[in-house]
Amino acid sequence: MTVSFRLLRMAALVELASLILLLANLATVHWAPVASLLGPVHGGAYLIVIGATVQVTADLRTRLTAVVPGVGGLLVMRRLRRRPGTGREDGDVSMSATGR
Amino acid sequence: MTKLLLSIHVLAAIVAIGPVTVAASMFPAATRRALAEPADPRGVAVLRNLHRICRVYATLGVLVPVFGLATARSLDVLGDAWLITSIIVTVAAAAVLIVLVLPGQAAILADDRLAGGGTGASPGGTIQGRRTAARLGMVTGIFNLLWAVVVVLMIVRPGSTTGA
Repeated sequence: MTVSFRLLRMAALVELASLILLLANLATVHWAPVASLLGPVHGGAYLIVIGATVQVTADLRTRLTAVVPGVGGLLVMRRLRRRPGTGREDGDVSMSATGR
Repeated sequence: MTKLLLSIHVLAAIVAIGPVTVAASMFPAATRRALAEPADPRGVAVLRNLHRICRVYATLGVLVPVFGLATARSLDVLGDAWLITSIIVTVAAAAVLIVLVLPGQAAILADDRLAGGGTGASPGGTIQGRRTAARLGMVTGIFNLLWAVVVVLMIVRPGSTTGA
């Protein structure tokens, strides 16, 4: 597994987890410090997912999938796992299929 | 909360942008070394690693403006001239990195003079490669300079009233 793919996986998990925590906070205690800390965390993870996806694959549909809010990163990883041929760089995705 | 956001912002800047500036600065010299020894596979391996460091840490670098904007919002300084100036310079630095530095590195790595294992090591080709490396060194220098300007602006904050 390459560094970019690992970055993508980590950012995808943070993206979804921070969104869930943000919404849970909004629905329950609505504590302002939690929102102002998790907001940038979620936004940063969202942008890292997009950046890492652009590096991992050249496939336009997969890249557009990364823009989906909240679950974009997880959807990208599912697409990459199903169609390993979409990888751009030599050995990038073929390594990820066996290395996981 | 402001102090926590600012700490994350500064930490992200040191951890993410630092490696990019160092690896990008080493790249042109490593290119010249790889061109001088085309038969040695280690030269290309070094270039690949430097390029990977630049790419991955540039991606992580988005955390810097994200937490920077969050900090600025909670400090209520988003409209200050020094901040707007540094945002513009940051955008320029990011553009130089994404449009010039990273594709320039990728173009050198895709060059068959390096990948071919020294089969086409003609003197003309090597001069061309050195020229490409020199141009990459120039844009990398511009990138580093822009970042230095942003850091100085963040520290000096000309016109700011929020203390030293």
